Amino acid sequence: MNDMRVDQTMMTTDNKITARGVQVHYGTNHALKDVDVDIRDKMVTAFIGPSGCGKSTFLRCLNRMNDTVASARVTGKILLEGEDIYDPKVDPVQLRAKVGMVFQKPNPFPKSIYDNVAYGPRIHGMAGNKAELDEIVETSLRGAALWNEVKDRLTEPGTGLSGGQQQRLCIARAVATSPEVLLMDEPCSALDPIATAQVEELIDDLRSRFSVVIVTHSMQQAARVSQKTAFFHLGNLVEFNDTDKIFTSPQDPRTESYISGRIG
Amino acid sequence: MMAMQDKHIVTSFDRELEGVQIDVVKMGGMVEAALKTAIKALVERDTDLAHRVVAGDHDIDALELKIKTDTARLLALRAPTATDLRLVLAVMEISAHLERCGDYAKNIAKRTVATAEGDAAGAVLGSLRRMADFVLIMVGDALDAFIKRDAGVAAEIIRRDEEADEMYNTVFRSLLTHMMEDHRNITVGMQLHFIAKNIERVGDHATGIAEQTIYLVTGSRPDDERPKMDRTTLLQDTQS
Repeated sequence: MNDMRVDQTMMTTDNKITARGVQVHYGTNHALKDVDVDIRDKMVTAFIGPSGCGKSTFLRCLNRMNDTVASARVTGKILLEGEDIYDPKVDPVQLRAKVGMVFQKPNPFPKSIYDNVAYGPRIHGMAGNKAELDEIVETSLRGAALWNEVKDRLTEPGTGLSGGQQQRLCIARAVATSPEVLLMDEPCSALDPIATAQVEELIDDLRSRFSVVIVTHSMQQAARVSQKTAFFHLGNLVEFNDTDKIFTSPQDPRTESYISGRIG
Repeated sequence: MMAMQDKHIVTSFDRELEGVQIDVVKMGGMVEAALKTAIKALVERDTDLAHRVVAGDHDIDALELKIKTDTARLLALRAPTATDLRLVLAVMEISAHLERCGDYAKNIAKRTVATAEGDAAGAVLGSLRRMADFVLIMVGDALDAFIKRDAGVAAEIIRRDEEADEMYNTVFRSLLTHMMEDHRNITVGMQLHFIAKNIERVGDHATGIAEQTIYLVTGSRPDDERPKMDRTTLLQDTQS
């Protein structure tokens, strides 16, 4: 697994996502208040905080998943490589190919393992022929550390896999469209410790290719997998710093209280 | 801004954290007593008292072992973070510093048995007692600063260590003079020099305890600023 130090080459990498003054209202509920965050490339950023703190809301802003919530109103700027993702010209479907997402509960399509992974590349026209598509499927499954377990049963339904395998299949599906950012919302909360360790190992591997943003209720998981940690509380971004700083010497008393188990 | 809560949601965690702190403070008291007794035995040439210090070191070591076991369990079972983590780390380090101080008390007592027969220079014994008093206050203050989470006092204790070093240098020169004057003083002189060195090392460990308090309170180690001071010294050296 990764060690917690962030090496110098990483420090000079440019920001992948820049968020400034992001506010989210659900009807009259002010869910997210004036959040500024820089998500760096090729790093894992963890969002932590108690339930209802706004961390998932903010994650869902990053690929416009909140568009699907009728009462949600998002203001402020979110730039992906300098491009405003809320620009009316941006197609949310194209955006979500670049900013992939993995959810809490594994949700494979009721299709074969092969078709689950091939789905994204097909709708985005990424493969010219069957051989190219085969290659994308294999590379994605290898990238999700699942190839060896499923290579002989690619035509079997994805829903027949174990929970941990299903989650890695969902990661393979998200990786298949060659995203720049991978968002993960509690990706291990439905998995046993072994499957969790496999997904955490995978997350560490994935960051060599793109940036990963993970929302987790497990602070130990945030400590294990991320290089940067953001603590949210009551809709505010309270503290954002290197993960080892957050867990050894947090600057804000609210962060300290939360990570040391003093407020829920 | 909301202040940090004192208590954990899980109260047994608080009890365990309090437990190791009580033990380390208790260990500090035992070490202070051992050092005081060792110096008393030295000055009064009381070999019975010195033997008691040697025997008593076992209890200090046993308490250190208990603290080590309890802190290891805290790390494994509670996975402490932030101030909690720094507290557990500080307790581990402080108990190691105190264990060394206990060993010095034992070593001083052993040498007392060896020097009791010789005609040691009274003036040097007086200097050793003053030096021991000085570092004992450092140890006591360092433990108080830890309990009160007072980084200011801790920083002041670190500065005090220079004075302890100067006192040691004075004793060293004085012993050297005695030994050069009459080579029959060499055996006792060497024993007294080791005792002086042991006392000086106790001052270093008091400094180490104070550094742990600074880390506990501020989250950064006082060593971070040392290179800057070194450069200043270097600059002055080259200019003069």
